[in-house]
Amino acid sequence: MLNVEHINVGYKDLQVLWDVSFQVNRGELVALIGPNGAGKTTTLKAIMGLRRPWSGTIYFEGQNLCKVPAHKTAELGIAMVPEGGRVFTGLTVLENLELGAFAPHARKHMAQTLEEMYQLFPRLEERKFQRAGTLSGGERQMLAIARALMSRPKLLMLDEPSFGLAPLLVDRIFAKIKEINQAGMTILLVEQNVRAALELAHRSYVIQNGRIVGMGTSEELLSFEFVRSAYLG
Amino acid sequence: MNRRDIAFVVSALIIAAALAVVPSITVKESVINLLVLVYIYVMMASSWNIIGGIAGQVNLGHAAFFGLGSLVSRILWTKGWPLSVSMILGALVPVAFALIIGAPSFKLRGVYFAIGTLAMAQILFITTRNLFPMISSLPTEALATYSLAPRYYVALGMTLLTVLVVFWLSRSRWGLGMVAVREEANAAESLGVSALQHKLLALCLSAFFAGLAGGVFAYYSAGYYLFFPFFPTWTFDAVMATYIGGTGTVIGPIIGAVFYVLVKEILALRFVELHPFIFGTLFILVVLFLPGGMIQIWSRLRRLFRRAAPAPSEEKAMSESDMVHDRPAVE
Amino acid sequence: MVETLVQNIVFGLLLGALYGLAAVGLSLVFGVTKFLNVAHGELLMLGGYASFWLFNLYHVDPFVSLPLAALALVVVGIVLYSLLFSRTVKMDEEQKVQTTMLIGFGVSLILQNLAQRLWTADDRSITTAYSRMSWTLFDIRFPIVRVVSMVVALLLVIALQQFLQRSYFGKAIRATVEDWEEATIIGIDTHRVYLVAFVIGAAFAGVAGALVSVGYSIVPSMGLEWTLVCLVVMTLGGLGSIIGTFVGGLILGVAQALTAFAVGGAYRQVVGLLLFLVVLAVRPQGLFGVKEG
Repeated sequence: MLNVEHINVGYKDLQVLWDVSFQVNRGELVALIGPNGAGKTTTLKAIMGLRRPWSGTIYFEGQNLCKVPAHKTAELGIAMVPEGGRVFTGLTVLENLELGAFAPHARKHMAQTLEEMYQLFPRLEERKFQRAGTLSGGERQMLAIARALMSRPKLLMLDEPSFGLAPLLVDRIFAKIKEINQAGMTILLVEQNVRAALELAHRSYVIQNGRIVGMGTSEELLSFEFVRSAYLG
Repeated sequence: MNRRDIAFVVSALIIAAALAVVPSITVKESVINLLVLVYIYVMMASSWNIIGGIAGQVNLGHAAFFGLGSLVSRILWTKGWPLSVSMILGALVPVAFALIIGAPSFKLRGVYFAIGTLAMAQILFITTRNLFPMISSLPTEALATYSLAPRYYVALGMTLLTVLVVFWLSRSRWGLGMVAVREEANAAESLGVSALQHKLLALCLSAFFAGLAGGVFAYYSAGYYLFFPFFPTWTFDAVMATYIGGTGTVIGPIIGAVFYVLVKEILALRFVELHPFIFGTLFILVVLFLPGGMIQIWSRLRRLFRRAAPAPSEEKAMSESDMVHDRPAVE
Repeated sequence: MVETLVQNIVFGLLLGALYGLAAVGLSLVFGVTKFLNVAHGELLMLGGYASFWLFNLYHVDPFVSLPLAALALVVVGIVLYSLLFSRTVKMDEEQKVQTTMLIGFGVSLILQNLAQRLWTADDRSITTAYSRMSWTLFDIRFPIVRVVSMVVALLLVIALQQFLQRSYFGKAIRATVEDWEEATIIGIDTHRVYLVAFVIGAAFAGVAGALVSVGYSIVPSMGLEWTLVCLVVMTLGGLGSIIGTFVGGLILGVAQALTAFAVGGAYRQVVGLLLFLVVLAVRPQGLFGVKEG
């Protein structure tokens, strides 16, 4: 479904990604794991169109994403949940969700998708008229995920959903993610939390210093030094 | 001072000497008047360049200095004070003004400084227009004996002084400090370069020479509304001329001012008042696409021709005296 | 004596409504796009002339021609945005603000001189059958034209505020202001948002100008004064609040009226500029620096 091939990405003079390639197939939950600063967020931004690769290609269902303006990526069916539970704090929960369905194909089904989100995250329905800025960290993360799902995506990308959350909440968030995947959503998960990522993912890629250094299933990856020390450490 | 610096000063002196001969070889008043206008604009643009180009603080209240300078000079001189004293005081009053408003003004960052100075100049303009609504005319005997030649020489001399001081500034430690403050104020502070001191110095020098230009204007004009030099157009003309010529360089404002006046006058002969469109457009083009102005075009052309064989020493000399700054004002 | 004072205050309020309308336009533009379009006053001037000529050539009542003036400015706004301002979108904020300010100066020069060449430097004003009529209440005159103008201004400002608060696209605009990247991720075309904001700002200036031409007078050189007024009002009223900016306009109008009453009309402009400087002195980053959702 998603084919990233040999992309090199950088900001001005600074190169961040070197020859990065990976794939995500329909229905999979693929994880991109690596330490801080490895280039995980940049990868997601490149897919989303917020950063143009210097070279290489990104194909999504046969379409070359590099030719698509950033705001059109949502229309193609890719949704991204940025790091840190970013929501529009000045708007209410409901307004955030409604905006999530901005893309034309999602707007038609807004009411229905909204119901689905309330089923998935009942807490959000309780708080629907509250300003998003007043939510707790965990609730914001849920809102961010729900908002992304409002666009009825084919591919959901999450950037470190567990970041900054208490362990209990981390488990809950990951349980939700698993639930979403089991319902049929293709997911690309970027994570520092190696344990959680490996437990969830069908396949994972390891990225370090802007390069893919390994890939495979969870068992296969345990042989990796980085993975092992992060898993056991 | 290296060789290129000496070359510059010598060239300036030679050009000034050549220009000094003009009144002797022509009696055409139109030529002399045109040149005086050029000199005043060169002074205005060069003085603005000190604060706006070299120090990088876009000051939109420049006309206030010009206005104050002309007001003081004119009033003193028409009351019988000696011309030199009138003009010096005329140049110093704007400096005092700059010192008073300088420190509080520089607390304003970037754009707020620009709008703030514009507001201040507007206040001065409106106040002067109300306090001095009259035309200042020379007394009849003075009018009868009005002679262009001394005005020409004063204007030329003051312009030469301005250019040489700006040149000296660009090569001095103070000037380099101003550039450092312009480029990276925080880094400069940590290296012991006081941003405020350098900005104040730039503003005061700018005020002095704009005030001096005001004095020249006061001496040169037979009759004019005393509030006329406070018009914001004097600021905008200087700003545009500097940008089009090339901010931060020594020759840029000169080229811009000469270009500006010549085009304005030539167009006035043929098509009335087309020059605002031309300069407005050129200005926008420079701001958007060519931040280094005409100087940038010139140095790019030079680099194209010299690409064949630039000797290492020549490269360095080129960059040293060519520009006081390398980085374009807008990225 | 008291009557004259109250009369002055009334006049100040009526004029202040137009200050508010014009300033709301610039506030929207700056708040959303961070363009400091100092040619805003010239856009207002163009709106005034549009209305003036529609009246003088085709006898269109000035209040009827308001939408036409707005439309004319929409076109001008689209041209200015596409040709010039859109090129600054990628810059970082400080550079964007300064560059757009400089561009604005170039544009204002061109527009001012264009107007002067086309329509001469004379003062112009629209005089209709009802121009001289006033309502009188307790011996205070309320010129009909100016009162209706104030109502129009107020309605437009409220309409804009409601649009931003309640409509889907209005929320999209607010979202873009808060977090440009996230808005793009959702699928919002930020370029279009910028264009819409810029165009609405221009249209508001145009309508304000049209109202000025019927209630007061217009002249090609009025741009700078009005731009400064808008900047003053924006600073007084606080960025991010549409209603606040409008109220700021009313405050300025009254302050000017009081000043004129106290020290004479010649210094009306000065009070606004002084207020502006005082506010800047108290908050050096200016109220512009406040980020509001």
